[in-house]
Amino acid sequence: MADIRERLIRCFAGTFPEVSEAELPAASIATLGIWDSLRSITLMTVIEQEFGVEIPEEELEQFVSFALIEDYLEREAGGGAS
Amino acid sequence: MKLLEALEVLRNAPMVEAEALPVCLVCGFTPLHLQTLIAAHLQQRFPHRRVRIETGLYGDCLAGLKRVPALQREASIVVLEWADLDPRLGLRRLSGWSPADLPDILNTVAMRAALLEEGIRCAAEAAPVALTLPTLPLPPVSYTPGWQAGAFELSLQEILFKLGATLAQRPSVRVLEHQALDARSPLRERLDVKSTLSADFPYTLAHTDVLAELLAQAALPPMPLKGIITDLDNTLWSGIIGEVGADGVSWDLDHRSQIHGLYQQLLRSLADAGILIAIASKNAPEFATEGLKRADILLPLDKVFPIEIQWGLKSEAVTRILKAWNIGADSVVFVDDSPTELAEVQATHPGIHTLRFPHGSDQQAYELLEQLRTRFGKSAVSQEDALRLESIRSAYQRTSDSGGESNPEDFLKQSEPVLTVAFHKDPPDPRALELVNKTNQFNLNGKRYTEGQWQTYLNQPETELMVASYEDKYGALGKIAVLTGRRDGARFVVDSWVMSCRAFSRRIEFRCLQALFDTFGLEEIRFDYAATERNGPLQDCMREILGAVPEANSILTREAFLRNCPPLYFRE
Repeated sequence: MADIRERLIRCFAGTFPEVSEAELPAASIATLGIWDSLRSITLMTVIEQEFGVEIPEEELEQFVSFALIEDYLEREAGGGAS
Repeated sequence: MKLLEALEVLRNAPMVEAEALPVCLVCGFTPLHLQTLIAAHLQQRFPHRRVRIETGLYGDCLAGLKRVPALQREASIVVLEWADLDPRLGLRRLSGWSPADLPDILNTVAMRAALLEEGIRCAAEAAPVALTLPTLPLPPVSYTPGWQAGAFELSLQEILFKLGATLAQRPSVRVLEHQALDARSPLRERLDVKSTLSADFPYTLAHTDVLAELLAQAALPPMPLKGIITDLDNTLWSGIIGEVGADGVSWDLDHRSQIHGLYQQLLRSLADAGILIAIASKNAPEFATEGLKRADILLPLDKVFPIEIQWGLKSEAVTRILKAWNIGADSVVFVDDSPTELAEVQATHPGIHTLRFPHGSDQQAYELLEQLRTRFGKSAVSQEDALRLESIRSAYQRTSDSGGESNPEDFLKQSEPVLTVAFHKDPPDPRALELVNKTNQFNLNGKRYTEGQWQTYLNQPETELMVASYEDKYGALGKIAVLTGRRDGARFVVDSWVMSCRAFSRRIEFRCLQALFDTFGLEEIRFDYAATERNGPLQDCMREILGAVPEANSILTREAFLRNCPPLYFRE
């Protein structure tokens, strides 16, 4: 799971180069003013490519924070999201 | 390159203080990952600069093109897709694919193509343009089955090919070769329907990456290499001439050796485009020369210089060839069928590019031909390209004839030199930028320019551009020296000064400065000089001109110039 967190931090760091890595695990749409719709598309595309997953559109709206995305990826890795 | 890798390349790019590399991207869809990947590919090629991509107006390619001339970019990239030619050819508009609509779609496409041609032409006046015609499969608009090309599809292609062919005739427009794209990005794997519908970004990531890499290359192309040194046996021809004789080696269909004929044909074509071709072969000279003189050879002897046929080390032959050409190993490809010879040459000349001529595989040998065409390809062939080999050969011949010991004054006097100096910057001579960007040895400071930077620099009213052409009784060298700078009354600052190595030792540098002093009535010239790893010949020359060791911003007064200038024998 530590591996998922590290890889996710890389994805966030690439998408939000203005934010320090230490702050990224706490990032959310509410706290990060630069997290707009274009960054969302970039972030999701990077995650899909890096983790080899296809995120269903209905899930996308829930991906509003680092923590929620990390949960999703951990569930995927553990045998599929519920 | 993966998207995350691209983002990381950009994240690690030089900070704000690095010189910006501004490029404009014009497309009708959301540029998204295409913008990121183009920026990353350019950033990798220009690691000391900070790439900035400015995009046009979303959804309107034509409006985006109109903005380009005002943007002062070093290059523009224009990406056309079907929807830019008629929205009905895209997936985001629902306005009819009925057979009755097809003629009107064709009319619209023809009209839009004319407007795009005009827009791209105007944009290309400001900075070079890399253009791609639609790369996605055509949507199922027409009534014909997918395997059949109907009149509608073919007429569409005709309009597009005409658009591309017209624009490709302009030196500042580079149209992307779709065969290069097809080789790396299968048609069926290009369109991302989900992304098109949800974000108006039409490409899969794999296709975006290939397209971005090729567009970055077309926008700011690398300098082509300058020379090929080729082996003979089982390379230029099939067979070992020392064993089978001149009539026993072959390059034709009958002997299943046609690929060697194609190789000869390609070398001939490259030679005619100004690429230097030499031979390095371990053989008995009398046998090998017989083969080269065969009437049916496709690479005639007069297209090759020097020819090194001997039993010594190939690396030594390569050293002599590089000396005769007076160019660095890193501008040269060495082709041989023997991995041992390739390794031996590489060990002595680490910068040289080595390519193996594959034995027994026509397929791989054909790939080698494609590779050579790409490495040596250029956008246009100039008059100087035709003169290059002859001037190198005659310079070499003169040195050999005199045993290198003739009196230089006598030689200069009797050679009847003429230097023609032109001060024209509108339109700029494309040869000027080519010389500035590829000259290493006689180069004032090693400064390089992209086409856009060059255009911006020349557009400044105080900038002057001097291009000098040389000829003497041995023949013409063509345009061999370029000097640029800024004039301020009786003072002049030289920003760039380069001269082809073919023109050394003729006092052309003194004649150039004399012309500069006289044309503008100057009292002093300041040089933006900087020592580089490879401009030793320039440093020696500056020492002679200045009568002192050159340093940054060295100044040459008219008085000092007249004092230090040796006799000049140029005819008017």
